[in-house]
Amino acid sequence: MSKIKVVPCSGIGKVFGLMARESALRVTDVLASDICETACLAHIVSGDDEARAKVEGLNCISVDGCPALCAAKSIKASGGIVKAEFRVVDIMKEHRGKNAGDGTALSEEGWIITDDLADRIAAKAIEIAKEVE
Amino acid sequence: MPNVQIGVLSCSGEEMLGGTLARMATRKVMEKLRIGRVVSLCLPLYIAGGEEERNFAKEFPVISVDGCDKSCAKIATLKYSGEVKDTVIISELLGKDVVLSKMVSARDLTDVHYKMVDIIAEEICKKVDAIVAE
Repeated sequence: MSKIKVVPCSGIGKVFGLMARESALRVTDVLASDICETACLAHIVSGDDEARAKVEGLNCISVDGCPALCAAKSIKASGGIVKAEFRVVDIMKEHRGKNAGDGTALSEEGWIITDDLADRIAAKAIEIAKEVE
Repeated sequence: MPNVQIGVLSCSGEEMLGGTLARMATRKVMEKLRIGRVVSLCLPLYIAGGEEERNFAKEFPVISVDGCDKSCAKIATLKYSGEVKDTVIISELLGKDVVLSKMVSARDLTDVHYKMVDIIAEEICKKVDAIVAE
């Protein structure tokens, strides 16, 4: 079985992009490395055949920083199956008033929220993996 | 071009260290080395149809910063805005092996990584200054 692709937006302008990136990395490296891997979003959206093959027909989880949903839209446009969409802005609503840091570095609170997001993504990935077994 | 703003479009590639370095160097140039001169453009948003990003890239000079020689940032800029004023390809600066090595979380970065970021940031600054001097 192919690994589930966890693809973050990595938007560079705001802290949300960094949180998406770090949460995805934690899932693919630490929490669920046996069933998940990531893929370069910039390469996917470049549209070449090699990039398309990274997601086409495969189960994916998108992790977007903002409501523009660049990762989710780009995966779908390349033929990927988005089994779950996560948005950092939604998680941040549960942490109103918290300072997560900025696009360069996460604050201590930012890391806690990011790790929480990673836990949720990993749990979803495990659920998806069980479904397709 | 004394008052011109310059856009820097960085790849942020998630599969390798080069993406992390590209992203960090771009942020460093924008926040510390060329404050007010450089604007970072969000590549996923740019490609997904972000009008603000694309219009900026049509009006102002853009430098693409790519981790590897797939040059996704450069290709995207050429496709949607027509011109890339200059490019930085990190694999040409630091070598393919370094750039294609495993991505590292921001919490695990070492002095070696920060030195690499400095080299890339310096290269971006050279390109920025050359454009300003035109």
